[in-house]
Amino acid sequence: MRIRPRLPASALFLSLALFLVLVFYIVPLLLTLWASFTPIRDWDLHALRSYVGAENYRRLFHLIRFDPDVSTVVKTTIVFVSGTLAVNVIGGFLLALAAFLLEERVSLGFRLLWLLPRMTPVAVFGLLWYYFFYPQGTLNAILEKLGLMSHPVNWGQDYLPWGPWGIIIFVNGLVGVSYGMIIFYSAFKSIPLEIYRAALVDGASLKDLVLHIMLPLTRWHLIFVTVWQLLSLLTTYAHLFVLVEWGVVEKWHGMTWALYVFETAFSQSVSDQALASAAAAILVAVGVGLGLLTLRLMGFERELGAVRGDLG
Amino acid sequence: MESKGRRALAYIAIVLVAVSAALSLSWSMPVKAQAANPPALTGNLEKDVVAIGKWLESHGVTTVKYTVMTGGDPNSVMRLYGLVEAAEDLNDILAKNGVNVKIVVTGEYNPNPGAEYKNFVSKYALGQNGDFFVNSYVYIAPLAEEGRLLNITKWVEVYKSYFSDFYPAIMKAGWYKGQQYGIPQDTEARPLYIRKDVAACMGWNLDDLAKKVEEGKFTWADVFKKAMEAKEKGCADWGLIHRKGSAHPDLIQFIYAFGGKLYDEKTGKLVVDETAIYKWFETEYEFARAGLLPKDMMSWDWATQIHPTVVGESKAKGGTGNTLFFIGGVWHWTEWQTKAYYLDPKTHQKRPLTAKEVEEKFYYTLFPAGEPGDKPVTLSQPFMWMIAANAGKSNPHYNDPAFRKAYQELAFLIVVKASDPLINALHSVMSSHLPVREKAAALLKDPNWVAKLQKLQIPVHPDVLAKIKPIIQKTANQINIQFLANVTYMLNYTHLTPSHPYYPKLAGIFADAIDKVIRGEMTPAQAVNYVVEKVKADPDLSKSTEIVGSIPTGWKLVKTPATTTTTTKTTTTHTTATSTTSGTATTTTTPTSPTATPKAGGKSRAVVIAIIVIVIIIIIAAAYYMARGG
Repeated sequence: MRIRPRLPASALFLSLALFLVLVFYIVPLLLTLWASFTPIRDWDLHALRSYVGAENYRRLFHLIRFDPDVSTVVKTTIVFVSGTLAVNVIGGFLLALAAFLLEERVSLGFRLLWLLPRMTPVAVFGLLWYYFFYPQGTLNAILEKLGLMSHPVNWGQDYLPWGPWGIIIFVNGLVGVSYGMIIFYSAFKSIPLEIYRAALVDGASLKDLVLHIMLPLTRWHLIFVTVWQLLSLLTTYAHLFVLVEWGVVEKWHGMTWALYVFETAFSQSVSDQALASAAAAILVAVGVGLGLLTLRLMGFERELGAVRGDLG
Repeated sequence: MESKGRRALAYIAIVLVAVSAALSLSWSMPVKAQAANPPALTGNLEKDVVAIGKWLESHGVTTVKYTVMTGGDPNSVMRLYGLVEAAEDLNDILAKNGVNVKIVVTGEYNPNPGAEYKNFVSKYALGQNGDFFVNSYVYIAPLAEEGRLLNITKWVEVYKSYFSDFYPAIMKAGWYKGQQYGIPQDTEARPLYIRKDVAACMGWNLDDLAKKVEEGKFTWADVFKKAMEAKEKGCADWGLIHRKGSAHPDLIQFIYAFGGKLYDEKTGKLVVDETAIYKWFETEYEFARAGLLPKDMMSWDWATQIHPTVVGESKAKGGTGNTLFFIGGVWHWTEWQTKAYYLDPKTHQKRPLTAKEVEEKFYYTLFPAGEPGDKPVTLSQPFMWMIAANAGKSNPHYNDPAFRKAYQELAFLIVVKASDPLINALHSVMSSHLPVREKAAALLKDPNWVAKLQKLQIPVHPDVLAKIKPIIQKTANQINIQFLANVTYMLNYTHLTPSHPYYPKLAGIFADAIDKVIRGEMTPAQAVNYVVEKVKADPDLSKSTEIVGSIPTGWKLVKTPATTTTTTKTTTTHTTATSTTSGTATTTTTPTSPTATPKAGGKSRAVVIAIIVIVIIIIIAAAYYMARGG
């Protein structure tokens, strides 16, 4: 009886969020799905009325199979997402550890420094690395000054595939790593100090602390950061777009699936929104699938299982 | 409580339904009193303008607004102001005949016309596109196919006598599937520019070269030899420079110069000619491997790299670098006079060249034949006045078919007026493009007209004149006009790229492939296969493309003695990891190849050392923080 009057109130509070999700996620998703079954091209909205079945998906899979560049995009996506994810999660964990172990005064500055890439506008950050990596840029200048190099090289264009892959993982890793750092850092802080002290008194080394106390107790955070970063890496393209557009990295080895969707819909000679919609629909499906798989692998259900102990 | 809530919901629902019903009714219902048709066009400009003006006035319309979407190099602004000027001319006619209707034309000018096409297309569905679209004819095929351009075939027929002196080949570019959608606005040729000072430095007499090129006696193998000589003698930093990335039309000339084709008139299909494409790729491959053409040519920047190198002094003299050859366009002639590309060694400041300096620096010929037996070429991509199918959309009663027709007819009359010899000749002088009609070409040859132009004594409205005055002052001189007259013969050798909705896709693949070839990521043979593979992988493109010819085995641009081939073979295997097939052993005669070997070895060593150093630094830093914290 006490619960009934609460329903409208909770509905009220939920409605704003639901409305936003509906307008900015569900509706565009449905529109994308719809468009992927039509022949829409060059923004010819009338084409949305015709139905072509799975033609766009057929075209897409044909391209993946036979177009060397599109298959490169697939490879780039796999390497980029897994590489950057590793950097973000492991790097984030290590940075948080360093920040946790540093004196508070130093730690603050340290964390702030790592947050800078996230705070810098995409274009500015892209420009920074453009100047760093391009043939007449900082990196080559340093190496030449040190006498390690006889003439400038084009890191993102000459050394395929790992040159461009390295650069995109590095740049996006720098942006993403601070996210894990902040989450893990606060997680480490939330572990009661007594536990660390007790372990130290028992003669635990730093390795023991990390393996037996910090890792198990921050498992939930680890799952969260992994899944969150996985999904955002699958769909991110802003930094990549800038790097590809300015020629820092070779076009196809700097292009992930998300950027391919963007390029197909907006940038290529013939703007093929139908094909891009099909590619986007696949991206959503892969994202959902991978997200669920990761949650399962990392034991998300167990974490959400019945609360142990007394609620009292 | 609950019933009150339900009642409120019901009220809201009723209001919503009522509003949407009213809106849909108002959209779907035809305008009550449909106006009678406006007068049909007769072929007499003044009479037609007055008739339509009177019709509009009698139906209560006193202002007609149009917008323009166009773009191009900084000097080609007449693509916008030509229409503004034409509208003003028509306004004068209307005022003279006592018609109280005013035409207002406004617009946007984008430095990148390709981006403006994207803009036009994406805004079309929203009705925010320009009423006039002034851009390359290559967009006619896709736009006409999608029904976004006004079919003007009948009206052009009515105005046949007015268009009689347009060059037929250029006029034809406005056609798609037997219907006319565009009127030529300008055209151009793409000469091969040769620096006279570099030629003088290497002791090369350029007299009669244009004639030799025209007769097919000076081919791309000769271009290579001269470029090599210029570099060896230390007269130039580069042998050849051309434009970058997406701007592929210049390089497409190679296909025609090697006797290839891109379009099959009989089947209406695009053509991938493997033989000609291979020869094009191989030519640029040899240039790049010999260090005559920058490896990253396709990503050079126009303003800071390409033009400064084309007009500049050699690096040895403290300049920005220089080149012997440049595959450019006629419009560059005045661009060099208006933009500050030249680094003056005396002042160390960048400044535009004067007309005299441009004339002293540059010799020009047709794009030479690929091989003896082939013909020299040039390539034109005429710009077109196009009228959007929804022209006049922002004016009153547009949904009434009679009004719509009046606005479309008026838009066509503006284009007719904008094609006036005066406007066309003015654009030619300002932007160094070629005229599209004989009457405009005649004006350029008329010394009286030129003299008047220099004094700005031309019948152009003050607003427009104010905008274009600075450009006229810089460009209207005897040297530039003489240049235009000198290059007009090139139109006899011109080619047009195919008017096909999928041609831009194919061109995009060429641009990617040639980039890989110049960089050395692919051998010419691999790149030809890449093009074929890409075409086949795209279901749309493969349906509308024929693949003809084959890769000619052992074809080289410069035929080298057997001994040097062996030496270069060993060197090239060192230089790039991708260069594995025998196709790479091309790289010529040259002394630069052997010197490339230690450099290449140094390159990979440097990379390994760099990686090791970075890893060590990271490990030390990580250990330091750990230790300190622990």
